[in-house]
Amino acid sequence: MPKSFLNDTSRCTACRGCQIACKEWKNHPAVKTKQTGTHQNPPDLGPYNFKLIRFKEYKMKTRVEWLFFPEQCRHCHAPGCKEGADAILPGAIIQDPATGAVLYTELTKKFTAQQAEDVRVMCPYNIPRRDPKTGMLTKCNMCIDRVQAGQVPACVKTCCTGCMNFGEREAMLKLGAERLAKVKKEYPKAQLLDADDVNTIFLVTEDRKLYHEFAERRETPQTQYAGLNRQELLSALGKPLRNLLG
Amino acid sequence: MTQHWIDIKNSNAILIMGSNAAEHHPISFKWVLRAKDQGAKVIHVDPKFSRTSARCDHHVPLRSGTDIAFLGGMLRYILEKNLFQKEYVTEYTNASFILGPDYEFKDGLFSGYDPEKRVYDRKKWGFVKDENGVSKRDKTLQDPRCVFQVMKKHYNRYTVDLVSQVTGVSKKNLLMVYEAFGATGKPDKAGTMMYALGWTQHTVGTQNIRLAAMIQLLLGNIGVAGGGINALRGEPNVQGSTDHAVLWDILPGYLPAPLATQPTLDDYNKAITPKTADPMSINWKVNQPKYAVSLFKGWFGEAGTKANGYGYDWTPKVEPGEEYASMFMFDRLYKKQIKGAFIYGHNPAQSMPNTHKIRKSLENLDWLVMGEVHLTETTDFWRGPGVDPKKIKTEVFLLPCSHRGEKAGTATNSGRWQMWHHKGYEPMGQSKSMGQIEVELFHAVRDLYKKDGGVFPEPVLNLDLDREYDPEKVAMKVNGWFTRDAEVNGRKFKKGDQVPSFAFLTDDGSTNCLCWIYSGSYPEAGKNLSKRRDHTQTPMQAKLGLYPNFSFSWPVNRRIIYNRASVDVNGKPFNPELPVVLWDGKGWVGDVVDGGGAPMAQQGGKYPFIMQTEGLAQLFGPGRVDGPLPEHYEPAETPLAKNPFGKQMSNPAIRWIASDMDKLAKNADPRFPIVLTTYSLTEHWLSGTDSRNTKVLLEAEPQLYVEMSHELAKEKGIKNGDVVEIESIRGKVQAVAMVTVRVVPFKVMGKTVHLVGMPFAFGWTTPGVGDSTNRLTPTVGDPNVSIPEFKASLVNVRKAAKITEIER
Amino acid sequence: MNISRRGFIKLLGAGTACYGLSRMGVDVAQAQTYAMSMKTAGAKEVVSICPYCSCGCNIIMFVKDGKFISSEGDPDYPVSEGSLCAKGAAFHALHVNEHRIVKPLYRAPGSDKWVEKDWTFMLSTIAKRMKDARDRDFKVKNDKGQVVNRLDTVMHLGSALMDNEECAVTVQMLRALGVYQIDHQARV
Repeated sequence: MPKSFLNDTSRCTACRGCQIACKEWKNHPAVKTKQTGTHQNPPDLGPYNFKLIRFKEYKMKTRVEWLFFPEQCRHCHAPGCKEGADAILPGAIIQDPATGAVLYTELTKKFTAQQAEDVRVMCPYNIPRRDPKTGMLTKCNMCIDRVQAGQVPACVKTCCTGCMNFGEREAMLKLGAERLAKVKKEYPKAQLLDADDVNTIFLVTEDRKLYHEFAERRETPQTQYAGLNRQELLSALGKPLRNLLG
Repeated sequence: MTQHWIDIKNSNAILIMGSNAAEHHPISFKWVLRAKDQGAKVIHVDPKFSRTSARCDHHVPLRSGTDIAFLGGMLRYILEKNLFQKEYVTEYTNASFILGPDYEFKDGLFSGYDPEKRVYDRKKWGFVKDENGVSKRDKTLQDPRCVFQVMKKHYNRYTVDLVSQVTGVSKKNLLMVYEAFGATGKPDKAGTMMYALGWTQHTVGTQNIRLAAMIQLLLGNIGVAGGGINALRGEPNVQGSTDHAVLWDILPGYLPAPLATQPTLDDYNKAITPKTADPMSINWKVNQPKYAVSLFKGWFGEAGTKANGYGYDWTPKVEPGEEYASMFMFDRLYKKQIKGAFIYGHNPAQSMPNTHKIRKSLENLDWLVMGEVHLTETTDFWRGPGVDPKKIKTEVFLLPCSHRGEKAGTATNSGRWQMWHHKGYEPMGQSKSMGQIEVELFHAVRDLYKKDGGVFPEPVLNLDLDREYDPEKVAMKVNGWFTRDAEVNGRKFKKGDQVPSFAFLTDDGSTNCLCWIYSGSYPEAGKNLSKRRDHTQTPMQAKLGLYPNFSFSWPVNRRIIYNRASVDVNGKPFNPELPVVLWDGKGWVGDVVDGGGAPMAQQGGKYPFIMQTEGLAQLFGPGRVDGPLPEHYEPAETPLAKNPFGKQMSNPAIRWIASDMDKLAKNADPRFPIVLTTYSLTEHWLSGTDSRNTKVLLEAEPQLYVEMSHELAKEKGIKNGDVVEIESIRGKVQAVAMVTVRVVPFKVMGKTVHLVGMPFAFGWTTPGVGDSTNRLTPTVGDPNVSIPEFKASLVNVRKAAKITEIER
Repeated sequence: MNISRRGFIKLLGAGTACYGLSRMGVDVAQAQTYAMSMKTAGAKEVVSICPYCSCGCNIIMFVKDGKFISSEGDPDYPVSEGSLCAKGAAFHALHVNEHRIVKPLYRAPGSDKWVEKDWTFMLSTIAKRMKDARDRDFKVKNDKGQVVNRLDTVMHLGSALMDNEECAVTVQMLRALGVYQIDHQARV
């Protein structure tokens, strides 16, 4: 039975404990940022930022809504990135059947920049980022080291309000349904995002479009070319494999 | 805090005002949200919509510096709608006391005001006494001179209309908050107030909190579970460092600092022993001489004898009425009256108001000793912006300090839990703990006195202070031990035995104790209660979320103070669902009860507020220097030309300083029409010394910003992300404009008042991030405690012509 | 028995730690590219307290061979239940930090730079400055002839960063020296 996250944004205070805990656990160095008129920093996910609180603010009819979105990899059941990577170099991206964690291995270093880009566009949530220094494709790995040792991921451990939860998928689905029923009373538009397809389930209180560009599933080659076999997909993508296989 | 963090979950209504709890005390929101899950109404009243507001039921924007108007309106509403808890108010507060003939309030001033000295004669505010010297009472609360009626009349002026016009809060919002919080006046409902620097950092700071406490008393919310008035304390150990009096005006345990008019211990003891003629008042402070003598005994050991007042004679005495708080200290330094300074873990060149003056003042030091972890704007003042090091004659000694994880000892959380932290590894490099440094420095001085002699050497030579700093041993002495064999309260003790609690401290030199409120934390050798990590609870405690066996809570492990007011006069809990304490016919069950003795209505019964001389809580407070009832005064710098509440514009007892560098904008100054409020943020800590130099935190919040409304930005032609210049009469600061819907213009007395907000965590020693926001703020302070008014001043804003302070 | 939450988590951990990816049908060669054990495995756990706000979150420091390697919230602290905010989560980075001052530094009058000095020099020179000031400016009586026993020309600021015990000895020693102009972050 895979594991799942439940990120209940109705409880998030954007304290960014998760964002920092992730960096700390992964020993990620700080990146240089600038103040540009928003609290969201760094501006986007990156090779040293697998977890990021996205901030959006709106003046609604009766009140201000400041929406916080603790962004991370969704650990899809049928990960588009893996499908893309398999077409290039099988084994570069793997999926742990025990946890459902989608894991990027050292083999992703063998991708060219363009191939890495091809894999990125396969992700409906725009999560993967290539580390320009090492060439490795990077993102959240569910803190697989911690999970194997019986602990929760660093971000979940740190969360102070119960926004982030982690456990057996069934338990998280149950918790999600309970929370949703409660949150809906205050926020009628509340919903669980793509709960059937992903292991990182977001509970949002407003229309998902309001959170950020990729809070919605985007069209990917995977969805465009659904049903194609590997060869067909590759030729559809039109990307050579010579460099890798040689 | 009167409560502890977990108790917030027991509230039915939570008013967060003067605090941005989710950002500055993030863990508090674990408990706020649990209360919300149970149906509690959570309201944030604050100038700016913050991460706190985002998780509250309501955010109510208010013009900074108008909290008394807002709360005064609430008090009026509670009385008008009869929402107060009658029995509580009549029996447990001074509502029924009769005011003497001299008390008067007119034209914004209380009787007894001396306009030249800007001080009140507080004797004018006394109560009428009976033939035994006990305050007269009218428990029907009908006497026109009783506190209840006088208070009612005072706040009758705080109408919703006027409050709305002054605060800029809509009438609808005012009534919504008043109704929601007023509903906790029912005996079985509790409301809590969470505040922090947003209430203290005003020229009326103390009165902000007093008015909040008055409302909580009227609603019967003090002492009960889920109630209280909760100061969310700041710095890692600001609770403990205040308890231990790293302050000029008090000695450890909140004993007053000795005055020049108190030459002997007897004089001092007399002054700190309040008297009451009422046999029902416990008047706990009558014990203060025992705590004072034990403190001096702890300082001077064997050398402290009856003949020298146990060492009292050797300690410094300050001038009555003179002020020595930091804003005054720096003024003395500016005027070259101070020559040497020790500064540990503190960055005044960044965090004090009017930092231009602070930075200039530092140049007047002959020598400066600093204990720090990082280079700061203070350690390096001699090479700051615009400073020529060649011209600075100050000799600077910078001592590397170890961090929390590199030392052992205790820190006290906001809920008064004294907790032990263990040493993880050896201090980095040659750094040492601040305690070790202080002790070594003292001994280096003492060695010189031993060798060469010197002026008034007795206290230096006779101090009972080990050469090695051993936190475990100091913790034992903080608790106190017997200095000789003695019998106290019928129990026999041997020399060297630990004192079981402060109830066993004596005024004859047979005990020592470095801070009486912590006595009981180390009651036996080997029994350091601050190290306890036991979760054992009774079912009653489990329901409350009370952990009596985890660490130690001062005083005497009491977790909710004033808990004696959570029961009726027969000892029955007002809220039977969540009792804090209850009288079971023989004794008290639950939390450690305040004081002792039986419930009030029984034989030998006692009043609940044991630290008050009269035993009752003070709705009318004659002890504050700026008035017995809080009154709305405008901040020292205000966008208004007149105070709509009365003729007196600002706090009549305001603390301010006359110097060529201390300027104030005039009322409604057209050059500076915008209100500035300053604050911190989750990712940084105060002046930013620690957080700016932790690069993962700087990554998340990299540079100084100023939050402003879209309306103001449009008026000024400023776009989100532009570098702008903020100017006050004292200086200019550059910051990145954050144009946001979270800040709104206020409608105040018919005109539009804009407000901007800025953090103060960014300084020049971190290149390109901006420099001290406090170059803008004024050196004016609250007259009771001299906390500066960081929260409301006047500025103007424009797009920066040339970017000089912010890296782009 | 009072089983701590931390203990409970460790019990769980012991049972599952041996399950590597190989047991789960994944190509071991690939899976080995992943850390098979936590970086904190085998480290000594020491409880400290977050040095920022007064929530007082207890923090577990993981120390290996005398080196501080990682930290996280202590689930046994009833207030935080193991959680931390951004600042608390950076506890390790705060400590193990290249920006820290690790040697005594001295700046001579008129100089434009810091110079490294040893502790002996610092302590003895500061003691001399302090004694000179005290001997020069100590006031036994004020203008009214009242005994005051104080030193008006030296001030002491800070610190709320100090532990209770550090505060206790600091106040004791300052008042003995006659220094009474004492203040700290309680006012800012």
